[in-house]
Amino acid sequence: MATFASMRLALGAALLAAAAVPAYAQQQQVPAWAVGREGSGMSPTLAPHAPKLTVTPENELPINDLRVPDGFKIEVWAHGAPGARMMAVGDRGTVFVGSRVIGRVYAISDEGGQRRVRIIAQGLKQPNGIAFKDGALTVIAINQVLRWEGIEGKLDNPGQPTDLTSAFNLPPEEHHGWKFAGFGPDGRLYTNVGVPCNVCEFDRDRYAILVSFRPDGSDRRIEARGIRNSVGFDFHPATRELWATNNGRDWAGNDVPEDTLHRVRRSGEDHGFPFCVGDWNDPAVPRRACSEFEQPAAKLGPHVAALGMRFYRGTGFGAEYENQIFIARRGSWNREKKSGYDVVVAKLDGQGRVTGIQPFLTGFLDASGEKFTGRPVDVQQLQDGSLLVADEQLGAIYRISRR
Amino acid sequence: MRTTLMGAAALAAALLFPGAVAAADAARGQALAESCAACHGPGGNSQLDLVPSLAGQQPLFLTLQMILFREGIRAFPPMNEAMKGVVDRDIEDLAAYYASLTLEPQPPARDAAKVERGKALSATHHCGSCHLPDYSGQNQVPRIAGQREDFLLHTMLEYQQQKRSGTDTAMNAALYGLSEADLEALAHYLALQR
Ligand code: HEC
Ligand code: HEC
Repeated sequence: MATFASMRLALGAALLAAAAVPAYAQQQQVPAWAVGREGSGMSPTLAPHAPKLTVTPENELPINDLRVPDGFKIEVWAHGAPGARMMAVGDRGTVFVGSRVIGRVYAISDEGGQRRVRIIAQGLKQPNGIAFKDGALTVIAINQVLRWEGIEGKLDNPGQPTDLTSAFNLPPEEHHGWKFAGFGPDGRLYTNVGVPCNVCEFDRDRYAILVSFRPDGSDRRIEARGIRNSVGFDFHPATRELWATNNGRDWAGNDVPEDTLHRVRRSGEDHGFPFCVGDWNDPAVPRRACSEFEQPAAKLGPHVAALGMRFYRGTGFGAEYENQIFIARRGSWNREKKSGYDVVVAKLDGQGRVTGIQPFLTGFLDASGEKFTGRPVDVQQLQDGSLLVADEQLGAIYRISRR
Repeated sequence: MRTTLMGAAALAAALLFPGAVAAADAARGQALAESCAACHGPGGNSQLDLVPSLAGQQPLFLTLQMILFREGIRAFPPMNEAMKGVVDRDIEDLAAYYASLTLEPQPPARDAAKVERGKALSATHHCGSCHLPDYSGQNQVPRIAGQREDFLLHTMLEYQQQKRSGTDTAMNAALYGLSEADLEALAHYLALQR
């Protein structure tokens, strides 16, 4: 994931490594986004890829390049939603879609076999967190929590939302400040708070956490600590456990650390950031025994940007997919050879152990591995059992179903 | 499948055709740009304080900035007004037009000490890794070589004060910790590049 921003409260990895200077005493010598790049041996020209924020017509989408397993088919479900990211499905089937830079929330509905794309909110600061419950749409932007009651009855004129920002009192930092949002089986609203740096020392009760609230923003509870920047989670349909993806830090090397999948067995567990990713000690910070921390349920690949994830509910895709996790990997920037740009399935056994990570949707990256035609950021199951995949790069939503 | 798109981008979907980027129409853009010349100058070379030149700028950068103005995410009221309701295709054509023009820098009187300082700061802060070593820019990263010195300084101060946000926070971070005198030196050095 992009890791750019001012690092006011942070101490750069470079300084930590040097260790001669007291932590907060010194002006940073390196811009925050590049902290850790010096001496990494990685190409200094690596930088995040450009977004595209204009409408892409349907006939420019790479539908013919996309590959799904035998027995499945993929089609364009909607297009013309630049920057489309996280999705939530309403009771009446409306698909609500958040975004980052373009600041919009879309509502996409099926009208007689055609999709209609409405912009229901705009000018927001990275409204990436999208959750639906009891007829209401909750949107979490970097600096705002907004709720529209009865939204599906007023898509043409959503009106002013209820502003819950002060009740939730989330940190204001932009860096890794975009949210994923979802209601748990306990009725609480869950979200993430990323760390406002690449790697640094920070308040471990405030950043790099998964956190839940009552829907009105009260009763804050830390669900997991030491998760650097999770932008995707879901609840196991049978065990109700919280599972989350996490983005590893940049500039530690092409193949370290890996992005990770986390299983949260009990509220408040510590998953190790910034000290450990699995059994890998981050050399940028003081050494701690990695056995002190929860171990990831699976490694998802270095720099792949594993984001939106959902358990597949029901047997529509066949028994082998029931309660398995679909994960969108947006694709790397901080890696000399591109990786990710796909959707994978984490296969779980009866005990909830991950037995493998399998490709499911591929073809966004061309044969040279240099050019990409999509960046999948979220997956969402429709009521008919098919699976939607949101592509942020070209503002399209694909639908995968059984043949 | 057909999609009906509501809102600002309504017409764009219907009007676009294959290879939108390559096919963006500079001639069409020129016709749309008439109202811009009062501020951005004839041929996209600005003659006004604090108004950036657009000639020879990276087309993707121009496109993205116009979208940010239209959506109210980059704030400057006259530009927000100018972009109101402008559809995606028009924005892409405007960008193609300005990108096709030749920048005619109006370099400031050279101050050797400032140039040295700006050059050194650019090296330690890796400005050339994103903007390229000749500062001609790429994709979403703008050309900064030969831009107006007053605009460069003004906009860098705005990034530092979090008054300007872009498609990512790269610039807010890249300028972290630099003094105003540092930014003056950088602006001076960059305005003198060709
Ligand atoms: C009233 C004067 C005015 C008019 C008219 C105007 N602009 Fe601007 N424009 C500005 C100023 C001033 C800025 C710099 C704003 C800032 O400081 O952030 C700007 C910035 C821009 C930028 C961003 C450039 C950069 O390097 O950051 C683009 C692109 C742009 N204008 C395009 C246009 C187009 C296209 C039109 C006509 C449709 C137009 N402008 C009309 C004054 C104007
Ligand atoms: C990590 C990549 C990166 C680095 C390093 C970087 N820039 Fe930028 N720069 C960008 C991007 C991307 C933009 C456009 C941001 C936006 O959307 O507002 C930009 C925009 C700018 C602008 C605005 C120009 C305009 O026409 O609006 C200036 C001036 C600038 N950079 C100067 C610098 C200087 C000076 C340095 C070194 C101190 C630097 N940049 C380092 C990526 C970078």
